[in-house]
Amino acid sequence: MKRFLLIPMVSLVSLLSSCTTYPRLLNFTFDPSGRSLNSPSDDITPQISGRFITFVSDRQGRQDVYLFDGNTRRLVDIPGLNQLDILASHPGISEDGRYIVFAGTRQGQSNIYLHDRETRQLRNLTENFKAEVRNPVISADGSTIAFESSANGQWDLMILDARSGQPLDIPITPR
Amino acid sequence: MNRFAPKNLLRHGLTLIFGLSFGSFLVGCNPTNIPIGPTSINSRYTDEQPSLSANGRFLAFVSNRNGSRNILLYDLQNRQFADLPGLNRQNAIADSPSISNTARYIVYLTSNQGRSSVILYDRITRGSQVIYQPYQGWIRNPKISPDGRYIVFESGGRGQWDIEVLDRGPSIELDLIDGVPSGFSLTGPQ
Repeated sequence: MKRFLLIPMVSLVSLLSSCTTYPRLLNFTFDPSGRSLNSPSDDITPQISGRFITFVSDRQGRQDVYLFDGNTRRLVDIPGLNQLDILASHPGISEDGRYIVFAGTRQGQSNIYLHDRETRQLRNLTENFKAEVRNPVISADGSTIAFESSANGQWDLMILDARSGQPLDIPITPR
Repeated sequence: MNRFAPKNLLRHGLTLIFGLSFGSFLVGCNPTNIPIGPTSINSRYTDEQPSLSANGRFLAFVSNRNGSRNILLYDLQNRQFADLPGLNRQNAIADSPSISNTARYIVYLTSNQGRSSVILYDRITRGSQVIYQPYQGWIRNPKISPDGRYIVFESGGRGQWDIEVLDRGPSIELDLIDGVPSGFSLTGPQ
């Protein structure tokens, strides 16, 4: 009789204790049809801000930006962001979920794009840049954007005011 | 009293010389090899992988200056580098920095003998801890949430890149702006 009690007791204790150990990995349901955080394809470069996780996936046969709402545990539509002729990488999102920044390659030319989910507008922030750009990030308040530029023959950092698209007035030139 | 009397001149001169030599002594003995003085974000070496704090005040990045690969934190408001005591070590490569709201928490990746770990550095306690280390397989690109509770990263454990979300738990000190919680949760209503 005691032996039969032991197994459920041990499993109950281990279950309870496992609930209180942090840090722990969260369990998100894996969805083979591609409607969740992870899919049978590569899901890469996640970035988290508030309730949102934005990332890049090729689950639809092309490399697009995806937006996952951690609160509802559903993908959120981002109309106007993914363009047929732009290969997107390294997305970042502001904490209110309004602005998404990403690097996009179009006809061999890389640019930093800013998408406004409220107006559904897509803005090219580096249209006049004669350099390769990559790895953009946006601050949680959506005010500032930083990325890498190859203008000096090596990777340097650029910092822009997100609203005006102009470089911030800080010493960033090589010494 | 005449300020330019020979006696006074001598005294001022001596004070100046002592002051200068003491100052240069202090500067010369500064043990850190990160250039705190120069105010430039970019150097003649690669400066990459930027991360911004919530209001854009702090910029963390990886730089190859000083002959090794280090994580630097720059204060864009005061135009100077912030000290990160104990973060950069000689025998580990630090990569992919990501910072929380006020740059209190810095999450980054290290590789040691083929094993990669996600490290959490706390600027207040000046301590580092291994926050995640897989038994096998690769991890990449860790990013911390602005409040510092969650860390997302790529994991290659299933033979492809998947996204994992690490929860530091409800009892950690959140990095809040003006002490106001954002009200967002990843473990709340589902």
